[in-house]
Amino acid sequence: MQAFTPKERLFAVVNKQPVDKPPCICPGGMMNMMFQDIMEKSNCLWPEAHVDPKKMADLAYALNEAGGFENYGLPFCMTVESEAMGARVNMGNLLCEPHVVDSPLSSSAQVCLLQPLDINSGRAKVVIEAIKLLNARNTGVPIIGNLTGPVSIAGTLVDMSVLLKEYLKSPAEAEKLMEFIVENLIAFGWAQIEAGADAICIAEPSGTGEILGPQRFKAFSVRYVNEVLDALSVPVKIVHICGALKSVYEIISEFHCNVFSFDSIVPVALIKKYIPEKVVMGNINTHALGTMSPEKVASLVKTAISKGIDIVAPACGLSTATPLINVQAMVTATKQKNKQLTKYPGDKNGKGYY
Amino acid sequence: MKSKEEILKELSDCVVDMEDKLVCGVAEEYIQAGYPALDGINEGLVDGMQRTAELYEQEEYFIPELLICSDAMYNGLDVLRPHLLKTESRQEKHKIVIGVVEGDTHDIGKNLVRIMLEAAGYEMHDLGRDVALQSFVDKAKEINANVIAMSTLMSTTMPGMGQVIEMLKAEGIRDKVKVIIGGAPISPAFAQKIGADGYSATAVDAVKLVDKLMRAESEKIGA
Repeated sequence: MQAFTPKERLFAVVNKQPVDKPPCICPGGMMNMMFQDIMEKSNCLWPEAHVDPKKMADLAYALNEAGGFENYGLPFCMTVESEAMGARVNMGNLLCEPHVVDSPLSSSAQVCLLQPLDINSGRAKVVIEAIKLLNARNTGVPIIGNLTGPVSIAGTLVDMSVLLKEYLKSPAEAEKLMEFIVENLIAFGWAQIEAGADAICIAEPSGTGEILGPQRFKAFSVRYVNEVLDALSVPVKIVHICGALKSVYEIISEFHCNVFSFDSIVPVALIKKYIPEKVVMGNINTHALGTMSPEKVASLVKTAISKGIDIVAPACGLSTATPLINVQAMVTATKQKNKQLTKYPGDKNGKGYY
Repeated sequence: MKSKEEILKELSDCVVDMEDKLVCGVAEEYIQAGYPALDGINEGLVDGMQRTAELYEQEEYFIPELLICSDAMYNGLDVLRPHLLKTESRQEKHKIVIGVVEGDTHDIGKNLVRIMLEAAGYEMHDLGRDVALQSFVDKAKEINANVIAMSTLMSTTMPGMGQVIEMLKAEGIRDKVKVIIGGAPISPAFAQKIGADGYSATAVDAVKLVDKLMRAESEKIGA
């Protein structure tokens, strides 16, 4: 079989063409791909790497170079859009990712108080510049640009509890907020694609079937994620929905994406039955990646592949405490044909071994 | 005049049917009729919240419904509570400190747990979200808490839970307070690893968990 660059391999899998091995990626954004080990090795530290395009690009580059994921995934958090529209964000620290601390609206009826996301300023610009820097390196590694899901953004612009109640009590007003968010996500998504993103991933940690129930999952999550996806033209469109999908299995096929990513709680074989037309991505337990031995990680990867996962990825991004050796073990395991697992020497702290 | 049972049923139905405005009038009517506030709370509002929890478990209701039902319960409580007899309101309850750990602002899950525990009769001290780790310890000491309940939705903030447990040890009060944790990335294995006393996956299970821990504790004291 021909040699694939990581980008060619990802595109081939998405087009359901045969490949030498499954891609092993971590999309970034809500599904953060960064951790302390690699930040220190590359000297591109959080929180600086969230606001400096060169550090952001260098950190993403360093992880792939170190035998990590076969993609670059930007940004490293899910607060860029909310901040640009008016939310106050705490930028976190080396271990803690940025998070919204203050919602600008007390109700979705106040949508007029929001500012439009400006792709030429703030961290939106940082992300776009970082994508350009990575694209200029022309490495054959796919760049995944990330958008936070419309429901999840709405739940930071308005307090999430208030938003959920308004979905039920005053849906027309909530819809105006959603439309505003969608319009701005489309602008940010296009800017990422024009800067060189090969894929766009939309993650909805808050807009889930578990939280909303099937009816509103359809009316809010699916509807607005699709409005964004329909407006963007890019070869790879990934949607990630957090949590158990039991109440919404039959609705997932309605997402206008070609790749669907899901949590470790969701059985691979089961979800595949509901979405035979889509490529399935996931769902290596995030906690296991952070705490267990490389052998255990490798065996989880083998199991996921044997269950039919098309793209190997962490179920829900990474903890910043994840050891590099576990990410390397994950990638290595996708390269092995047989069931034999690589033996890893114990690391010097003896950590990660049960 | 309506019978006590009739109005209790109405109070309960207001909660289940998400009547967060109507409930106040019904609660007023209940008090005007001279019925005891405590029964109105337990057999009316709390009964409604428990039925709501059942509908949630059966996936008839989801979180938006649960939130509006709990608004109805709280609005009713605001009317009934001032009418509790002094002895009733001073009744000793198990105290629980609850919050979302530092670095995380996702508090829906925590709010649901608080609502369910409150409905189950626990005295809740809600520290809110993005809570400095030391605050859990300080508050637990201040009120002599029986339980600390911590939640997070983010894998990056999970380690804070273990740190709180270490702080409790350092303060010498680890054996005085039960620590329970929850949230999307949390697992029973993680709870065990950091030395928590329990984990629950849902708000309804959190009540069962705390009931069990408090029962075990009172048996220990009894023995």
